[in-house]
Amino acid sequence: MVEIVFLTPFITGIIAFFLPKAISRKLLVATGAIHLFLSLFLWKNRPEAIFNNYFAVTPEGLLSLLVISLLFFLISIYTVAYLKESEIQKENIFTGSMILFLSTMTMVTLSDHIMVMWIAIEATTLASAPLIYTHRSSASLEATWKYVLICSVGIAMALLGSVFITLAMDIGNVDAPLSFSALTQVAKTLDPMWLKAGFVFILVGYGTKMGLAPMHTWLPDAHSEAPSPASALLSGVLLNCAYLGIFKTNKIMHAAGLNDFSGTILIVFGLMSILAAATFILKQNEYKRMLAYSSIENMGIIAVGTGIGGIAAYGAMICMIHHSLIKSSLFLSSGNILLGYGDRFIKNTGDMVRRMPKTFVAFFGGFVGISGFPPFGIFIGEMFIIVGAFRTGHYITAGIFILSLCVIFAGFANQVMKISFDDSDSNKTIGLKEKASLVWPQYILLLTSLILCFYMPDTLYQTIIDAVTAIGGGLK
Amino acid sequence: MILHPVDTILSLVLLSVLFSFGTSRLPGLIKVIAFQGIVVSMVPFFIGHDMNAGGIVFTFATLIIRGIIIPMSIYVAIKKVAIKREVEPIIGFHASMLCGLGLIVAATYTSRQLNIPSISDYTLLFPTAIALLVAGMFLLMARRNAIAMVLGYIMMENGIYLVGTTISVRARHIVEFGILLDVLAGVMIMAIILQNIKRTFDDVDTANLRTLKE
Repeated sequence: MVEIVFLTPFITGIIAFFLPKAISRKLLVATGAIHLFLSLFLWKNRPEAIFNNYFAVTPEGLLSLLVISLLFFLISIYTVAYLKESEIQKENIFTGSMILFLSTMTMVTLSDHIMVMWIAIEATTLASAPLIYTHRSSASLEATWKYVLICSVGIAMALLGSVFITLAMDIGNVDAPLSFSALTQVAKTLDPMWLKAGFVFILVGYGTKMGLAPMHTWLPDAHSEAPSPASALLSGVLLNCAYLGIFKTNKIMHAAGLNDFSGTILIVFGLMSILAAATFILKQNEYKRMLAYSSIENMGIIAVGTGIGGIAAYGAMICMIHHSLIKSSLFLSSGNILLGYGDRFIKNTGDMVRRMPKTFVAFFGGFVGISGFPPFGIFIGEMFIIVGAFRTGHYITAGIFILSLCVIFAGFANQVMKISFDDSDSNKTIGLKEKASLVWPQYILLLTSLILCFYMPDTLYQTIIDAVTAIGGGLK
Repeated sequence: MILHPVDTILSLVLLSVLFSFGTSRLPGLIKVIAFQGIVVSMVPFFIGHDMNAGGIVFTFATLIIRGIIIPMSIYVAIKKVAIKREVEPIIGFHASMLCGLGLIVAATYTSRQLNIPSISDYTLLFPTAIALLVAGMFLLMARRNAIAMVLGYIMMENGIYLVGTTISVRARHIVEFGILLDVLAGVMIMAIILQNIKRTFDDVDTANLRTLKE
């Protein structure tokens, strides 16, 4: 039953490669709608998987799945409008890859077996590479090459990590299936040294995909070269999927009582990512690269929160959900800016408040949300993480964390002000009519984020708590 | 001390790592990769874990893919399209050789610290695996030619395969179905991309791929 959720988009994705343009666009939206329906069904009923050695419905998986599903549906509506406005060669490859990408990411969220997870994350690389290469320019080729090469090395590291985990089982004389849930139960009997080694390699491997510094170098290029709907998917959900791999391994570490070790490493990588983002965001001259660095920052925040544990782990989950919602809306708005001004450099934009008022609302709203202003959820999440850091005595971590956030805010604000309010070349015409389907998806994403801050349904709250309890988190 | 036959052949692999660091031409590097691919996929036959039919099929499949298909296709590729034959080092050959020697010493030292019961009979197994892994990464970073980088990536995978197939049966199952997909997919995509790099840039010097900074 569970398997249908990723098999459906897998089949429709392959079909989309062979359909004429108009129909494949409709298929994209239809798949999004069906997928959202199936995910909600899964959320409500939480059935057993048919191949229950390989797939399972876990709270953290469900959270990611619902986010993916909602995002994909809204992005697919935007994509149809975006494709009408822009010229993309071989559109079938684009729509087909989008749907296949959805399928592979869904598989990541539902996988319980270490190797199925690995294969699924590998498959996300394969499905998303054509998306980055959509424009077929030399720059997009370079970005794709970098993406595939760096992520392949990362995925190879993760494989080695998985090998080490089996070694930990052999040395500890454990006989259990190689699934995350089974290993979490027998974690105490695993050999700690090889488990640690496995965790480090898996963290580096999936961390490459998640965009943790110093393995993040593919991310700004890929996000800036991909068409905006694809960047929104990459940033909004792909990074979460990679995080899920780390999260589940961290669960084993926690159950084995090695959470101090894994926590410290997560904090170090997280802080490095935040610092890297703070360094590079200041001098960005392209708005999509700027958003990409902000994604690196947020992934760092999530890693730090997970590493600290307790209330901060809860904050990390909140940050993850809201980052997906807000950042994908920002990337979609950046697509409008690109279509409108026809230029990716910040200096060639300007005066968006009057020239593209509807996009301005979405973009500025997203900026306010992502930089952690109340009442958006990122504020609450970061607050929890800072409180958690102080409670557990991570004073230096908290210091670096807060300082970097200030720097990033300053850099980000500076650029956003330029785009929004600076004078622009008045001879230049805006090549885009702001149709409803080009702005409403962003509004809905931001509204969802806003509503979740004031009213969180009990079932959602309970699922988050269930997810973070396994890594020693919670609101206590 | 009597050297196990597996160790004898692995010592040749270690030498081939040094050779790959010192060679300046792609054909030589491709031959090294083919040799390593064949040796690495043969080793599981000589190490005493039970092999079922599936395992044997997988091992032969890896042998054919690693040892023959991939090197051949890369060889054909550089013959057919006018790709530069130089590996275009970022770190010079003599310095690379020195790094290689240091690497082998470090790998031997490290594997003595790690005590893995199942392969303790084979002195050179774990050092070779570590050396291949790190050497592959070194080639990835220290060579500018895109094909040399892909070859480095394959060398790295060979290292992982060597660890995985020999440590235990369970680990072997992992690398078996993992690595096949990995190799096929990774290299195919890289080949396609290379082809396009070729078309766009006229040669595969990744120095041309430096317009995006950072």
